[in-house]
Amino acid sequence: MRKVYAVGLGITSFTRLEYPVSEIAAYAGMMAMRDAGLSAVDHVFVANMGASRLNHQSGLASAVVDSLSLTPAGAETIENGPASGASALKAGFMAVTSGVHDVVMVIGAERMREANNLETTDFVATLTHPIAEHVYGVTLPSLAAMFTRLYMQKYGVTERHLAMVAVKNHDNALLNFFAHLHEKITLEGILDSPEASTNNPYVSEPLRFFDCCPVSDGGACVILASAEAARKLGKPMVRLAGVGQATDTHAVHEREDPTELTAVRLAAQKSFQMAGVQPSDVHVAELHDAFTILEIVESEEAGFFPKGQGHLALERGETRLGGRLPINTSGGLKAKGHPVGATGVGQAHEIVLQLRGEAEKRQVPGAKVGFTCNFGGFGNNVVCLTFIRED
Amino acid sequence: MERNIYGYKCRHCGHIHYPYRMRCRKCGKTEYTDFELVPLPKRGKLLTHTKLYNLPSDFMLATLQLGMVELENGVRVLGQLQVPKPAAGMAVEAKIEVVRTTDYDSFYGMVFYPA
Repeated sequence: MRKVYAVGLGITSFTRLEYPVSEIAAYAGMMAMRDAGLSAVDHVFVANMGASRLNHQSGLASAVVDSLSLTPAGAETIENGPASGASALKAGFMAVTSGVHDVVMVIGAERMREANNLETTDFVATLTHPIAEHVYGVTLPSLAAMFTRLYMQKYGVTERHLAMVAVKNHDNALLNFFAHLHEKITLEGILDSPEASTNNPYVSEPLRFFDCCPVSDGGACVILASAEAARKLGKPMVRLAGVGQATDTHAVHEREDPTELTAVRLAAQKSFQMAGVQPSDVHVAELHDAFTILEIVESEEAGFFPKGQGHLALERGETRLGGRLPINTSGGLKAKGHPVGATGVGQAHEIVLQLRGEAEKRQVPGAKVGFTCNFGGFGNNVVCLTFIRED
Repeated sequence: MERNIYGYKCRHCGHIHYPYRMRCRKCGKTEYTDFELVPLPKRGKLLTHTKLYNLPSDFMLATLQLGMVELENGVRVLGQLQVPKPAAGMAVEAKIEVVRTTDYDSFYGMVFYPA
């Protein structure tokens, strides 16, 4: 296996963008080419979940490779639900590590706000099992809500812990120019004051408005290269060292213990094993906090904290900037935003930025090992990546 | 006629699946037709629940209650709830009713009431 390095980074603001989805993708790609100092690549992977349904654009990668004037390079669209981004990075990793390609562009892009709220909710809900879940009116927030209630009963997580995740990630997003929500929130405003129930109504009990990620448009790009190609470009040597993926039952109720996210645990283990590091070696992590509960549970399943104690680590401030293991320094899906197909690439973008030491006000000092968890469906398809700064 | 939701019982190991799958998750036999349709029990225990305020477009309702139930034979299902004060562990009983109506079709599923 050849070593694979992240040599170029590009991103758009995650927000509402009034551009075609192909341009959102291409813009991130162009920024990454400029960052890497490249004028050509061997192959383009574009992660996207809903362009054919939401934007009337199928075959997105073909549109993007042409828009970037990179033809005749090969191009493919990768769809793996909300884990499309990390899946595309995995495809890029395999292309370079196998020796098939030397320089591969991995883009993630999504334009969700072109559709209205109902259409977008419906679109995301099609991830669920059609007969056993979707037909009942199940949405992703409702699955997360039922999961949250089980977790609260078993481990004593409270609405206050969930709100603390939201406050932390909103604070981090204030330091990220590209984040969707630049909005300071406080526990008083969303939980304690008499106006809190108006500011922060239930979406699906016990999850409230500020427990859910926003619906975002956005694009992100990471260019991967072999060691030889990377050295020529002279960028900091950040290696994509571990790639792990695992799946779980499509219907959530079929899992042996519905409070476990087994796929997260297995994907994280595989990723750490390939990279040759332990969870305790990680300095900074981006976790898939589409709902606040997920940041807490993923931090346990990835092995950063013992099962059932993620919320205690959060209470102690260990996951804040300046804490022992800062989580979601970008703002996370919660506040940076969640353009579904772009999210996994956006997470990798943040981690590579951190390992390069270019994360400015939200920089984790001396970060050398970083981790991302990209969570598809409700935990039925998870891709985890481990990055290591080498020089 | 009594309506039922059916589980899929593996003819080799007897494990009952819901929903349908092509291959038994327990014993892994690969004969495609080796599932027997068995009516799922109606009574069970509520494991977890939610009240949803942001509904998909087919539902002309302000809120919708959903729950995960462990049926008497141990099979777990998701369903809609018609329970005034749901609590984990309470006994519930299903009626098979229309749970979703689209422009063209009506779909039946489990709606749980207090047992």
